[in-house]
Amino acid sequence: MPIETPEYPATDALDRQIAIMLADDARLSFRKIAADLGVTEGTVRGRVRRLQANGLLKLVPIVDIGSGGTGMGGNPGQQMLFITIRCARGKIDQVREALFAMPMIRALYDANAAHRLIAICLLSSLEEAAEVTNQVLALDGIREAETELVLQTVKHNATIGPVATLEDLAPATTGDVGHEGRDEGAA
Amino acid sequence: MSDEKPPRRPRGASLDEIDRRIVEALTRDGRAQSTTIGEELGLSGNLVANRIRAMDAGGQMRVVALADFRVHGYKMLARLRVKVSGRAPLDMARELAEREDVLSVHLTSGRYPVSCLYAFRNARGLIEVARAVASDIAGVEDVDVELINTVYRYNPTLGPLGA
Repeated sequence: MPIETPEYPATDALDRQIAIMLADDARLSFRKIAADLGVTEGTVRGRVRRLQANGLLKLVPIVDIGSGGTGMGGNPGQQMLFITIRCARGKIDQVREALFAMPMIRALYDANAAHRLIAICLLSSLEEAAEVTNQVLALDGIREAETELVLQTVKHNATIGPVATLEDLAPATTGDVGHEGRDEGAA
Repeated sequence: MSDEKPPRRPRGASLDEIDRRIVEALTRDGRAQSTTIGEELGLSGNLVANRIRAMDAGGQMRVVALADFRVHGYKMLARLRVKVSGRAPLDMARELAEREDVLSVHLTSGRYPVSCLYAFRNARGLIEVARAVASDIAGVEDVDVELINTVYRYNPTLGPLGA
């Protein structure tokens, strides 16, 4: 089934300033942000809530890739692997759903008019990288898959990204995402 | 506020069981009060606050506000992968990394040694960047551009905090 990307509500300069102030310390007090930006604490709280409700802002702990140890969701994540997949005609939804079921795939996009899927995996070892490569290549509907092992991260902006995802909108399924299907809670 | 200094931890040290339970609680609510987390886990609020500070100071964990690229005025994302010749890929990667609209840069083992995620304000921006990378950056042999249509999943809870 084709999936439509929802329209996200417009944001303004104040939203952006709040996001920038919270970027490196999401636990910063709203009172301090309000004072710095010349608005009330209630405004800051309301803006943050609205952005969160729309999936545009997440206040989350990020664990350093080398410090996870075992037990962080069973996925220590010390090796990053990119997999770029070209799907056979008409098979992309089927392949995407199979990839979705794999928890080591931390990010999943489609690209270039939906012929390609890009999966980013976090793995604990080269053995796991081999395992995930085997699993992906064995899937039905794949025409070509290219794997790239990440040797070095030169830059990683942890505070800007494709944060609003379809997974958040429809956690149980990857399909049927409607434009009006959510409670906006715009208060 | 407590004046107590969080104990120094070596960079890259592993998290212990208590740290992990605190991180899990923060995953549910990144702004949860230390006392609330403490009550939930049967720990003192002070201990929780100290652990959070120590993990932050040790570069092991940080509670960040992750904003969608749209909040920053960008309209779309693309992955640019670059084939390199006659230049060290790391050198080129560092040049790309200086740009604000380049969100991440990785060196990989594949056909395209340099892989980066670019954010754009409009479709023209995408075309201009692809052209500029191909013609202005030394050592670029070939550029592969993939416009990202739909983001199905993005789970940032592990990442290279130092980069």
